[in-house]
Amino acid sequence: MALPTILVDDEKCHDPLSCRKCLLVCPTRVLGLGTSVGPEKFKQIDPAFFVVRGVRFQFCTGCDKCVEVCPTHAIQISFDGGKVA
Amino acid sequence: MCVWCERYSQGHERWYLNPANYARRLYKVRKEEVESAGAEANPQAAGGMATVGRDYIEAMQANDHETVERLRTAAEQRSWAVHFGQVVTIEEIHQILEIIYPISLITCACRRSMRGLPDEENFTCVGMGPGMYKWERWPETYRGGVHFLTPDEGKEVIDVLNRRGLVHCMYTFGTPYLGGICNCDYPDCAGIRTAQDLGVKTLWKGHYVADVDSDRCNGCALCARRCQFDALSFSPSTQMAYIDPLKCFGCGLCRNVCKPNAIAMVERASLPAVAEVW
Repeated sequence: MALPTILVDDEKCHDPLSCRKCLLVCPTRVLGLGTSVGPEKFKQIDPAFFVVRGVRFQFCTGCDKCVEVCPTHAIQISFDGGKVA
Repeated sequence: MCVWCERYSQGHERWYLNPANYARRLYKVRKEEVESAGAEANPQAAGGMATVGRDYIEAMQANDHETVERLRTAAEQRSWAVHFGQVVTIEEIHQILEIIYPISLITCACRRSMRGLPDEENFTCVGMGPGMYKWERWPETYRGGVHFLTPDEGKEVIDVLNRRGLVHCMYTFGTPYLGGICNCDYPDCAGIRTAQDLGVKTLWKGHYVADVDSDRCNGCALCARRCQFDALSFSPSTQMAYIDPLKCFGCGLCRNVCKPNAIAMVERASLPAVAEVW
């Protein structure tokens, strides 16, 4: 079975914690949120530092629902070894 | 025998019923271990909880058993030293809530990571013990704030989460320091997901195995949607619940909805074939 390459343009993806459309639309819960910075004392992480990444790659069917739902076209999925159309 | 009980129960029935494992001295051990392990934020880790990455999934897909074995062993050793869980029953949680202090309800980092769940819908995690006194210093870890609870309030919360179908797991923060009761489901919970999808034992099975009494099972199938471990199915030919004891984690969720009391939780140690299946 092929694994997808999931590319998310963090510049286009603002505040995924509030948007979360891609997380909710994915029928196999492939995507997850992480942060690009670590926790700091007395500070909550700014929403701008939340990022969307593939987690359960092995369950991605390539349905592209996340690509279609993304309001800023930040997600690209490819099944041919990283080349995105 | 459960290796954690062997090492850390100190004469108590289970290691998580030993009050010493909720002590602050052990909490300090964790910080050094985590920092020396370089467990800083990794976006791929989606919330910092993934114990293995894409390379593991790739090796699995390629049937590269050697690489899988190597990565699995490394991930398990790391997890068992710092942060892993074991499934417990609701009766045991009630016992634990009499031992620990303080008890607090916090938001779940796993569901924030996998669902982007807003804080107000996400209070499903119980933080406990001296680590909780530091919560104001770490607003990200305790995103959404903290509700401190009495033992009775804690039990009420646990009962509600159990009815919702969530599995109770005791988690270490610098083993054997126990700092959290996670209330988990598949696939949002990183512990269950990692154990089920990847065979990495970040979540251990509990001390019980569910057993169906075929004389009592009335075929209502209420239990069928409770299992988070793919261990319970409903058999069309017998019109009864069928439980695979090798897959059962012993959480007791199926038993808790069984009206005719047809499901019993039996001691894992009493069944030779699964006594060492954790």
